[in-house]
Amino acid sequence: MLSLFALAGAMSQFNQGLTLFLSLLVEATPFLLLGVAFSSLLAILVDERKLVALTPKNPVLAAISGSLFGCLFPVCECGNVPVARRLLMQGAPSALAIGFLLAAPTVNPIVFWATWVAFRDQPSMVFWRVGLTILISVIIACVFSVQKDLRPFLQPAIARQLLPPEPEPTLATATSDSPLLTRGTYLLQSTGTVKLDQPLVSTLDTAVLPSATWTVKAQAVLEMMLQEFRELGAVLVMGSAIAATVQVAIPREWILALGQGPITSILAMMLLAWVVSICSTVDSFFALSFASIFTSGSILAFLVFGPMIDLKNISLLLTTFKSRAVIYLFVLAAQLTFVFTLAVNLYTSW
Amino acid sequence: MKRTFPWPIALDALALLLWGLMILRYWWTGRLAVLLHPDYHWLAIGAGWLLLLMALWRGAALLWSPKSLNTPHIALLPRRWSLAVLLAVAAFGIIYIPRPFTSDTALARGIAEPVALTRSQPRRFARNTPPEERSLIDWIRLLNVYPEPDAYTDEPVNITGFVIHPPNWPDDYLLAARFVLTCCAADAYPVGLPVQLSGDREEFAPDSWVNITGTMMTDTVDGQRRLVIQPQDVLPVPEPKNPYEF
Repeated sequence: MLSLFALAGAMSQFNQGLTLFLSLLVEATPFLLLGVAFSSLLAILVDERKLVALTPKNPVLAAISGSLFGCLFPVCECGNVPVARRLLMQGAPSALAIGFLLAAPTVNPIVFWATWVAFRDQPSMVFWRVGLTILISVIIACVFSVQKDLRPFLQPAIARQLLPPEPEPTLATATSDSPLLTRGTYLLQSTGTVKLDQPLVSTLDTAVLPSATWTVKAQAVLEMMLQEFRELGAVLVMGSAIAATVQVAIPREWILALGQGPITSILAMMLLAWVVSICSTVDSFFALSFASIFTSGSILAFLVFGPMIDLKNISLLLTTFKSRAVIYLFVLAAQLTFVFTLAVNLYTSW
Repeated sequence: MKRTFPWPIALDALALLLWGLMILRYWWTGRLAVLLHPDYHWLAIGAGWLLLLMALWRGAALLWSPKSLNTPHIALLPRRWSLAVLLAVAAFGIIYIPRPFTSDTALARGIAEPVALTRSQPRRFARNTPPEERSLIDWIRLLNVYPEPDAYTDEPVNITGFVIHPPNWPDDYLLAARFVLTCCAADAYPVGLPVQLSGDREEFAPDSWVNITGTMMTDTVDGQRRLVIQPQDVLPVPEPKNPYEF
């Protein structure tokens, strides 16, 4: 009889887990589709070169505009690395590229909307999330802008295609119409005769088909959407499964003990953000399932830190940056997130 | 047809089709309400249709041009893995019927304690609604703002909820409960009010739905002074179409 009860309890827990899992999937799928649709459209249709020519050269202003670029490129953290790489290769200042890299997955309309939907009861979460992300991104971007020449931080294949930093910024407007990258041909060292006006890496990044017809472009957009959906969908499934399991299987007392401490809760949520690697367009739904137990600061840490650096996008970052730079990014982002969200936990009543 | 069958394209189309059908089936069978807040049903339904359209587009490639336009992409997971995960989940989701949370879940989340509502700033106050028109969540929100149970003594009450038998409570007490959603089932939290029955609570099985009319009073349950419903009538009712409150 007792085992029957135990079985019934386990069944009910199992059903609860499945309902949670499916509800996360069904709620997140529309936002995931929107995210992949936009990032695919942009990858095919937008020419970042024109944007780069328009942005300020002052590091702080560049960092700020970079972190706001996400409003124009609503990509999640999987789409932002290729875009940041294209920005770098098209001569963007490092502050701009790094600011974009860190902030774009969060500071964009789709994520804004998704966070709003998820935290309708706590609208301030949206503003904290966006504000803190911009702040941290700008700080890190400014730190990186001290390094005028980013090439030592980049993977050799990409560094080879970059120009050395420009000595006189006034040149920028005069040359903005000319194909920037051809000027760097003389930089090629032992690698032979790769033509720089056809950047090697851009074939890896973009599917830009300049002279293609609309049907071909539409086909390419759909193709890319499908690829991203397939991949991010699988990550979403795993993330949802983890969230559901944590809620159902881990004893409530443990989670309560962890989630109520101002420091432990932040560390736990940051670790979770790093491991789960859920896409930024849908991570607010994931965080939502912890919101009733964990401190607000820790939920904020999850929402700010996760999109910047996680297990999944480290592999993506490594396609562009050397491991040393990725470690700098990771450590800086983690420390700043921790300090700011701890301040939120300790000094705000929110 | 001499060409080998383009399995990758067919499986893509199948995965998209199953995902779309999974979401739309929840909608057709009314189970979407178990998963999502009604405000966001349209989003899920739109996504379902979009997935079906994408499946059609992908399926069309089977008939006309089976070679796929190979856009370069950095893969994190091997394509087959992601595809297998998506297919498996969609196939399962199409068969499985999601169920609303039960009394076990509510108990596990600490509903029996009087401070059950830790989060959520109320979006509206029900102070001005007549007491007999307040829903369960309206009562809880009121209590959150003004917790003194004596303030509500003798006010009429009419609520619908599911039955919970908290293990430490006497046999003539049950809890009438409801889960509250703000977005989706992931953020559901239980709220409930104690009911003092004239008979044994076994008459009302856990998780069965009841409509309770009666008046409010103050009583001590499990060592806590609480607002308790003294019912005139406890009627079994079918599970509401939308089991949650908002």
